[in-house]
Amino acid sequence: MTPSASALEIAESVRDGRVTARSVVEAALSRAHGHNQALDAFTDIVDDRARDRADVIDGLAHGGGDPGPLAGVPFAAKNLYDIAGLTTRAGSKINRGNRPAKADATLIRRLEAAGAILVGACNMDEYAYGFVGENAHDGPSRNPHDLDHMTGGSSAGPAAAVAAGIVPISLGSDTNGSIRVPASFCGLFGLKATYGRLSRAGTFPFVASLDHVGPLGRSARDLALVYDVMQGFDEADPAMTKRPNEPVASRLKHMIPGVRIAMADGYFAGDGVAREAVLHVAKALDVTRVVSIADAHAARAAAFLITMAEGATLHLDRLRNWPGSFDPDVRDRLLAGTLLPAAWVGQSQKLRRHFRENVLKLFDGLDAILVPSTPMTAPLIGQKTAMFGGVEMPLRPHIGIFTQPFSFIGLPVVSVPVWLKGETLPIGVQIIAPPWREDIALRIAHQLETAGIAKAPVAQAFA
Amino acid sequence: MSYKPFDADALIEATAPLLQLQIAQDYRPGVKQNLKTAAKMAALVLQVKLPDDTEPAPVYRP
Repeated sequence: MTPSASALEIAESVRDGRVTARSVVEAALSRAHGHNQALDAFTDIVDDRARDRADVIDGLAHGGGDPGPLAGVPFAAKNLYDIAGLTTRAGSKINRGNRPAKADATLIRRLEAAGAILVGACNMDEYAYGFVGENAHDGPSRNPHDLDHMTGGSSAGPAAAVAAGIVPISLGSDTNGSIRVPASFCGLFGLKATYGRLSRAGTFPFVASLDHVGPLGRSARDLALVYDVMQGFDEADPAMTKRPNEPVASRLKHMIPGVRIAMADGYFAGDGVAREAVLHVAKALDVTRVVSIADAHAARAAAFLITMAEGATLHLDRLRNWPGSFDPDVRDRLLAGTLLPAAWVGQSQKLRRHFRENVLKLFDGLDAILVPSTPMTAPLIGQKTAMFGGVEMPLRPHIGIFTQPFSFIGLPVVSVPVWLKGETLPIGVQIIAPPWREDIALRIAHQLETAGIAKAPVAQAFA
Repeated sequence: MSYKPFDADALIEATAPLLQLQIAQDYRPGVKQNLKTAAKMAALVLQVKLPDDTEPAPVYRP
C-alpha cells in the first residue's frame, strides 16, 4: 500500500486477502523510523507489539475469522494516551519517572478490537498546554508540508504522522483546539466530537471541564470509520454520555435535505486566508447566510481562565516540587493559574452555560456553522508574533481564538483542510454542529471532499 | 465604584505562600505576564451580566 492509502482501502485490502496486515505494518514502521529525524513526530515506536498484532490479524483473515472493520490499519496516538508497558509522558519530563501504564487507553483498545494496529506514541506540547507543537524536551514536531513551519499543537506528532503518510489515522486530544489547530496547519481532517461522546479513560488529563479526545485523518470517510468503532459508554470516564451509539459511516453519503448552514460574522469573521477559506467552502455549499454569535470574546476568555485554573490545580504538587523540570512557558502559565481569584473561575463556568444557551438558540434554525479553524496558515517554528487585524500581537495565545469558544461548550466540530490557489500551506475550516450531531459535520465534510473542495494529500516530500 | 489597576505582584505575594508555592525570582516576569493576561480575560468574563439562577456548567449527578 502507498503512503496515501486510506484506512478504508487498507482495511478492505487486508480483509480481502490482497495484502497482509504484516506488510502494511512493516511499511508504516519503516516510514515512522525513516521520517522521524526530519519530523520528530514519534517519541516511541512499538515495533514488536505492532508486528505481533499484525500477525494476529493475518491469522484471523486467513483462517476465516473476522479481522474487523479496521483490519490492519496502522495508527498512532498522542503520548498522553496510556499504552501498556510504556510510561505515559504527556509531553513532559516529570512524568517520565512514573511507572509504565498497565493497560491501553479505552480508545486504543477499541480501535485494536476493530482490527487497527498501534505503531507508536507521538510528540506533543507539554501537558497539552500549547498550540505550537514545540516540545521543550523532545524538540518541535515539524510540518510535513514545509519543515520550517510548525505543526500546531498540542496534537503535534499525531498530525505530522498522518500528513507525512506514515499512518492514515491518529488519535489526539482537544481541550481548546488541540485537534483542530494541527489539522488546520497540517492540512488534515480532524474530529472533535461532542463533550462526553468519546471516552477519555486512560489518557493523561489537562482540564476536566473541557478535555475531549478524537481522531485526525486524511478523509472524512476515515474519520467516520474510526469514530464509529470508538463510540460507546465507558464508566471509567465520568463525563461520558449514556446515549446509544450513533454510527455515521453508513450515512455519510446521505446529505440532509434542505440542510441549513451559515457563516459566523464579527469575532469569527477572520481575515486574509482564514476568511478566504471560509468563503471558498461557503461558495461550494451555496451558503450565503450569516449569523452572529453573541459573547464570543467572553466565551473564549472564560475558556482561557478555566484552562489556567483547572490545569494549575492538576499540576500543583509538581509545581511545588519540580518547577525547574517543566517547559518554562508552560510552568509560568500554570503557576499563574494557581493564583486566580475564585470568582473569575466561578463566573467562567456560569458563562459556559449562558454561552451554550446563546449558541443552541441559533441551532433552532440552523444545522451547521462555518468558521475558520485558525487565524493563519502554519507559522514558522519559533515564531513569537503575528499580524492580527493589521496589529502585531503575541502568536501563541491567538492561534486558538476560533477553536476555543466551541470546545468551551462541547459542540461537535470537524475541521476540513482547504488549499487556496497560490498558497503553499493549507488552512482549516470548522464545521460546527449541534450537540450529538457529529453526523451533520461529517456529512458536510464528506460532501466537501467529494467535490474536491476539502482535501488532505500526503505532503509531497513524503508521498 | 472605582477599581485599582491590577497588581500582579500583590496577588503573587498574598496567594503563593497560602499554596506553599515558591515562585522563584526568575519565574516572576513570566508569571506576572500571564496574570496580566488572565486579568484582561477576567474583565471580559465579568462584564457579562448573568442572572443569579444561571447554573454553572458542570452539574454533579450523584
